Amino acid sequence: MADQDNQLDQLFAQAREARDVFPDDLAVRIETDAEAVRLARSAKTPRRTWRQRIDAIGGWSGLGGLVAASAAGVWIGFSAPTFLPDPVEYFVSQEATYLMADLNLDENYLEDAE
Amino acid sequence: MEDLTSHPNTVHGRSYAVPEPSDEALLGQFADGDGAAARVLTERLGPRSYSVALRMLGNQAEAEDVTQEAMMRLWKMAPKWVPGQAQLSTWLYRVTLNLCVDLRRKKRPDALENVAEPADGAASVVDQMQDAARKDALQAALEQLPDRQRQAVVLRHIEELPNPEIAGIMDISVEAVESLTARGKRSLTAILAGRRDELGYEHG
Repeated sequence: MADQDNQLDQLFAQAREARDVFPDDLAVRIETDAEAVRLARSAKTPRRTWRQRIDAIGGWSGLGGLVAASAAGVWIGFSAPTFLPDPVEYFVSQEATYLMADLNLDENYLEDAE
Repeated sequence: MEDLTSHPNTVHGRSYAVPEPSDEALLGQFADGDGAAARVLTERLGPRSYSVALRMLGNQAEAEDVTQEAMMRLWKMAPKWVPGQAQLSTWLYRVTLNLCVDLRRKKRPDALENVAEPADGAASVVDQMQDAARKDALQAALEQLPDRQRQAVVLRHIEELPNPEIAGIMDISVEAVESLTARGKRSLTAILAGRRDELGYEHG
C-alpha cells in the first residue's frame, strides 16, 4: 500500500511539473480579448461607480460629514436658535405685506404700458 | 516559468525589490483602462486556470477554450469587483471549474458517438487507450473519479492550494474538502493498482 501511495505521490509531482506549461497562442487570445473589452469600455461614456462618487467627495468620512452638515442645515432651518432670525417667519411675514391689491392693477394697465 | 513575484531594480549600485501589485490592484488598473495590467494578470492567472481545466477535461483544446472564457469573464467583471471580498484566484478557479462541469454535461449525451471506429491496420481503440493511459496514468485515473472528488484532488495535490481556499472555491466546509481529497486519493490508488495489469506493465 505504501508503494502505491508513493507511486501516486510521484504522479502528482510529475503533474505539478507540467502545470506551468501555458500555450503561447492561448496567452495571445486572452490578451486580445482583454484589449477588446478595454477598448469597448473606453468607447462608452465613462460611468462612475458609487464607490468612485463617494471617493470624489473624500471617501466615507467625507460622505458622513456631508450628511451631518445637511441634517444640521435642515434642523437650523426649521428650529432656528433664538439669536438668529427665523427664516420661516421672515418669509411668511414678507408675503403677508404684499397683497395683490397693492399692485393697483386696473383693466387698462396694458394700454398704459403702450 | 518566470518569477513574477520579484523584479530587482538597481539604483546607485544598490538593488532592491519593488513589491509587485496584487492581483486585485492589477484588475483595478485594468478597469481604469491600463492594458499592460491585463498582460501581467494573464501571465499570473492564465496558467492556473488552464492547468485545472486540463486536468478536469483531459483535452487541450477544450481546456484552452474554457480558460479563454474564464479570463473573458474576468475582464468583463473587472469594474464590478469589490476589493477584499475574496481572492481573485479563488474567483477564477471557481469560474473555471463551473465552466468545465457545464462543458462535460453538454458533451456527455453524444460522448460515445464521437469515438471513431479504428480503420483496418490501425491501432485498436484499446491500444490507443493504453497509449494515452501510459502517457498520463494519473489523468486516466482522475477521469474515473466523480467531479467533486476530482476537483478537490486536483486543487489540493496538483495546484497545492490550502484546504480553506479549496473550501472557498468549492463552497463547502474544510472538513468536506478533507473528506473528498482522502476519498479521491484512495480511489486513485485503487484505480492505479487495479489497472497495472490492464496497462501491460510488468510486475516487479
